[in-house]
Amino acid sequence: MGLVAKMDVARIVRTHITTAELEPPTELITSVNDGSTPLLEVVKGLGEYLTSTEDDVRLKGLTFLSNVVKVIAPGRYNRQATQTLTRYFLSKLDDFDSLPSALQALTVLSKLPTFDDEAAVDVYKAVVEEVNLKSYVQATRHMVYVLFDSLLATHRSALKAMGSDFINSYTKMVDGEKDPRNLLLLFSMEKVILLEFDVKDHIEDMFDITFCYFPITFKPPPNDPYGITADDLKLALRQCMSASPYFAKMAIPLFLEKFSTATGHSMRDLMLSMAACFPIYGVEAVGERGGELWEGIRTEIMYSSDTTIEAAALSALESLMRTLYPTEAEVPTGLAQDIIKEALTVLEEPEKSQGIASTKILAALVRASPSAGKYALSQALPQLFRQFNSPSLPSHRSPILSAISSLLISAQSVYSAPESGRHQYTEKSLEPFREPLLDVLREGLRTESLRGPAIRGSVALVEIPGFWGRDEVEDVVRGMNDILINDGDVEIRSAVINGLTTISRSYSSTIETVTLPLLFHHLPDTAPSLSDIDARSKYRSILDSLSRLCIQPSLFETLVIRINSKLDLLAPTPISDVETDEQECNVAYCWDLLNTLLTVIERKLVAKHLDIVKYFDAIVPRLYGLCVEAALPRAGGGKTLFGDRRLLSLVGRIGETMTWELNTERQAKQIDVVYKAFEKGEIAAMIHETTQIRTAGSPLRNGASSSEQDLIAVYSSTLQGLKAETPLPFSDAADYLSGKIHWTIHVATSPFQLRFALDAITALVNKRATELQSSLAEILEMVWVKEVIDTSNEFEVRRRGLLVYLHIVKALALIRHQLAYDAVLRVIECLSLASFDPVFVNEAARGFSVLAEGKGKGRERGSHLTAKLLCAQKLWNVVLPKLIEADRDATGKTRLVYLVAFSSLLPLVPSSLCLSDLPTILPLILRSLTLPDPVQRTNAITTLTSILETQNMSADVDKIIHQNAVTMVEGLAKSVLPDPSGDLETSGKVRSAALRCLAFFPDVVRHETLHTVKSDVLRDLGKALDDPLRIVRREAVECRAKWYRYGAAV
Amino acid sequence: MSRALDNENPTIFAPTHATSSRRQPKSARALLWDSEADMFQESDMEDGSESEEEREEIDSEEVFDLLRSITDPEHPVSLEQLRVVNPDDIRVAGNRVLVYLTPTIPHCSMSTLIGLSLRVRLLRALPPRFRVDIRIKPGTHQSEHAVNKQLNDKERVQAALENKHLLQVVEGCLATAGQRGVGDGNVGAAPITA
Repeated sequence: MGLVAKMDVARIVRTHITTAELEPPTELITSVNDGSTPLLEVVKGLGEYLTSTEDDVRLKGLTFLSNVVKVIAPGRYNRQATQTLTRYFLSKLDDFDSLPSALQALTVLSKLPTFDDEAAVDVYKAVVEEVNLKSYVQATRHMVYVLFDSLLATHRSALKAMGSDFINSYTKMVDGEKDPRNLLLLFSMEKVILLEFDVKDHIEDMFDITFCYFPITFKPPPNDPYGITADDLKLALRQCMSASPYFAKMAIPLFLEKFSTATGHSMRDLMLSMAACFPIYGVEAVGERGGELWEGIRTEIMYSSDTTIEAAALSALESLMRTLYPTEAEVPTGLAQDIIKEALTVLEEPEKSQGIASTKILAALVRASPSAGKYALSQALPQLFRQFNSPSLPSHRSPILSAISSLLISAQSVYSAPESGRHQYTEKSLEPFREPLLDVLREGLRTESLRGPAIRGSVALVEIPGFWGRDEVEDVVRGMNDILINDGDVEIRSAVINGLTTISRSYSSTIETVTLPLLFHHLPDTAPSLSDIDARSKYRSILDSLSRLCIQPSLFETLVIRINSKLDLLAPTPISDVETDEQECNVAYCWDLLNTLLTVIERKLVAKHLDIVKYFDAIVPRLYGLCVEAALPRAGGGKTLFGDRRLLSLVGRIGETMTWELNTERQAKQIDVVYKAFEKGEIAAMIHETTQIRTAGSPLRNGASSSEQDLIAVYSSTLQGLKAETPLPFSDAADYLSGKIHWTIHVATSPFQLRFALDAITALVNKRATELQSSLAEILEMVWVKEVIDTSNEFEVRRRGLLVYLHIVKALALIRHQLAYDAVLRVIECLSLASFDPVFVNEAARGFSVLAEGKGKGRERGSHLTAKLLCAQKLWNVVLPKLIEADRDATGKTRLVYLVAFSSLLPLVPSSLCLSDLPTILPLILRSLTLPDPVQRTNAITTLTSILETQNMSADVDKIIHQNAVTMVEGLAKSVLPDPSGDLETSGKVRSAALRCLAFFPDVVRHETLHTVKSDVLRDLGKALDDPLRIVRREAVECRAKWYRYGAAV
Repeated sequence: MSRALDNENPTIFAPTHATSSRRQPKSARALLWDSEADMFQESDMEDGSESEEEREEIDSEEVFDLLRSITDPEHPVSLEQLRVVNPDDIRVAGNRVLVYLTPTIPHCSMSTLIGLSLRVRLLRALPPRFRVDIRIKPGTHQSEHAVNKQLNDKERVQAALENKHLLQVVEGCLATAGQRGVGDGNVGAAPITA
């Protein structure tokens, strides 16, 4: 074996070296890894090449060996092999061309268990002695650092034991490195060295190689392939700067010096770096120059015109104070006292910009330190109370109260955060001001111009654990309730609701007994008239408040009871087929009540509340009862309120959502009663017992009135809310499905009924595909042959047949059922008949939008269809090639239908999929931008936007985007214009979408690619500014501002 | 901060309405329905052709909206918070727009710069059919006349914008214009720590 192997090795090596194929073959690697060929055999086999006098041959030998070392299993190296190889590669360090391969091999070797401390030191020394880093390119320098990094990770103590030798040579070696990729690695190593090595005596050298980079001014090019941001570098450097307290002596003077030169981003960096460094540098070093540091920080807080710098300066201040006064034991003398005194003097003019800045300074002190914070509050609050109670100008009270609230919020932010370790009940900083605080806040809640700050301050105090008692909370809740009822300002009301919601988390009974009764009391029993806009916006605002407050289980029950009783009152209102204003008002009020209920249910679901099921009987049968009662024939003729389709839709949605939450057993019971009601006419069981009904038979029977047929909304919603495993009350699912299909195509009398019937069919097929298995193909065939393609049918029958067909395909595609992919081909085939059957073919092409609806059908939540992983991808991969092929084969006008089908299908695909298919689909998307129908153009534009939105796009995508950028921009520009141009119809939607998409280009595409079209785009956008719709103009303004800045150096 | 500020401590006002204006609805019927109600209307199975578009004219509130969040060149606050621009001091008639700006102090040397920022914003954000006049509110500035002249002379404005440094300052002021009154932080909240 050994002999054979040896011969093999020699031969393999020879072939590879002579053909310059330097990657080792798999057989060789396998053979080394399984032990049949010893590693040293390979070295021997390479012998003549490794020692060749020809540079070229020697390099090939070395590279081959290095490549072998990189891939074989670590267990194959024994100590001897490791040593030999290490020695060999070390001897190559002085050879310019061999260095990269040698370094890579050494990095691999350095990670082996057989590589010892001694070897680590040898390798490190050899590298610093032999390699003159400055003469190598970035990639090679990077390899050196990677090797160091590996040594530092695995043999840290050996390097540490080198003492001064190590740090001296290291600092020389890395001096002058400029490449961001290398620096990122160096910074991470230096942090380790600073933290773990004895750097005290070499701190100047370490300081030089660290602080020479500060502040970092690096700015990556757009779409930088390496993805290193300025912030990455800043953070890494900051961690080094703050790694050693010995830096303090040199760093603090440097910081002080930078105050006068740094601006913009560097100033922000300076502030944040100081914030990170102060606690490490320690009270002694920082305290020495505290006054000067504060001067610099103060300037940025008081005068900076950039809020991010101001925020950074405030965190520097916070850090400074925390360093100087870390615990409650430190007496806040000296700097803190001066700062507070000055801030309070400035606050004598609270309405000025420096007054606001001073408040921020005091708030930072409160957050920073228990001692300085407490002292700040004790000085500031009495002065602010005095100013509030006798202001020099009445208008000053608002900024004064704002200042008080800001201090309370900062107090709350530390006292309610467990990680701060600070508590109001130990510090008692607010205790002396209990009374006056309540007084000013109460006053603030009562006064119109003071409400905003008063709400903020009140909520902050409620949230400080253990500060206020129940009575005080009730007191401010009452004040806030008054605002809720009487203040028309949306902002203020929304602030109150947020506040009350927060309060209700700790004091729910207060909200239940004080707030809710008041709100319900102000809800009217009948709808306000059309002209009474105020009353309507008032009930709307109350309902909005309720929908946000009543999410909590303890408050939800009250909501259900109260809304039910309002609906009971409204339900008997008669309506006629002729819409009157009064009738619309009633419907709208009812709709708002129901929508409040639905909104709360959905919010509870998001919050994962379990109490919803408990309310099923209190909600669903009642609402169904109201609908049934309205639909059944009445003695005097005419309808009542719940016959309105908009209300029916909403009741359906509530029914579906609640049904879905039931367990299968309860679901089986529910579908059983609903089934009996609709198929057998036994309606009584489905509805709440209090409802009085006169049975008229199944609402789906022949001869039922249109309002009875509308109850399909209730039936369909129940079916949609069922889980796949819930037992059904009928035995033959196929029979049942055929019945529903027949009803949909031939019986339903309105688009409303059609929609619910199609949704029911979709849900049924989607969840019962296994039970329907054998009959599905047959059913699809029947629909296609008898209803869809038979041109002797009425057009409406064919259209409905097609919709049924497509909905079944969609239901099957969601579960990746093979039948879906066979069935959809028929639809694609029929597109080729464009010239014979144009109207129908166009309908079919647009019908692909049914497939594009996917699971959600436009709603983000609340769809209960089953969708398997990658179902959209699968369907897309089946349909796309067929469409592309057919499009290629078609000519002239007949091509258009494929484009229509393509763009109708587009919303189906997630942007990740678009990215991988980009080369194939981009031409189609670009052509779709010329389609006459704005809906299809919107699809194409939305897809384009999602492609452009992609973060970190690959180099390939980036290239395609840049190649096509001009065409894309020109295509989009056609859709932004308010006047239809050429054959292009337009809509507000398509114009908004196009503008939003265009606005992405300046961020994604490099300026040189598009600078030629910039002036045209700006001109077209100038026309878009005159759009008739305000909301579109807004997008146009935004987009145009971006294009103006595009390419301008800012 | 090398240069002394003109007005180093101006008065800050709370914004009047933090979000865009509330306007008169087109019809009482339109107001009757909640915006979410659209998806429950019946039309969705029919082709959803857009309802015909009623023109919403550009009015003074919209112009104010365009200007309110421009940042003051000296302070990190908006022109709205300094009451340099006010909704009541903007007139729109036909194709003409007139904006009065109110300097925070009568000797403010920044007035021209602020006016220039307003002009650039409107140049970019209003349709070209508008003729825009930007004036100092009478009686609020020492050299009212000179500033007005500067701001409404096409060639002088053009020349100013060719000055790279000046343009950069203007761009800086305009960077926040897109916020349109939304945003603006709370004083007491903890500052960001990176």
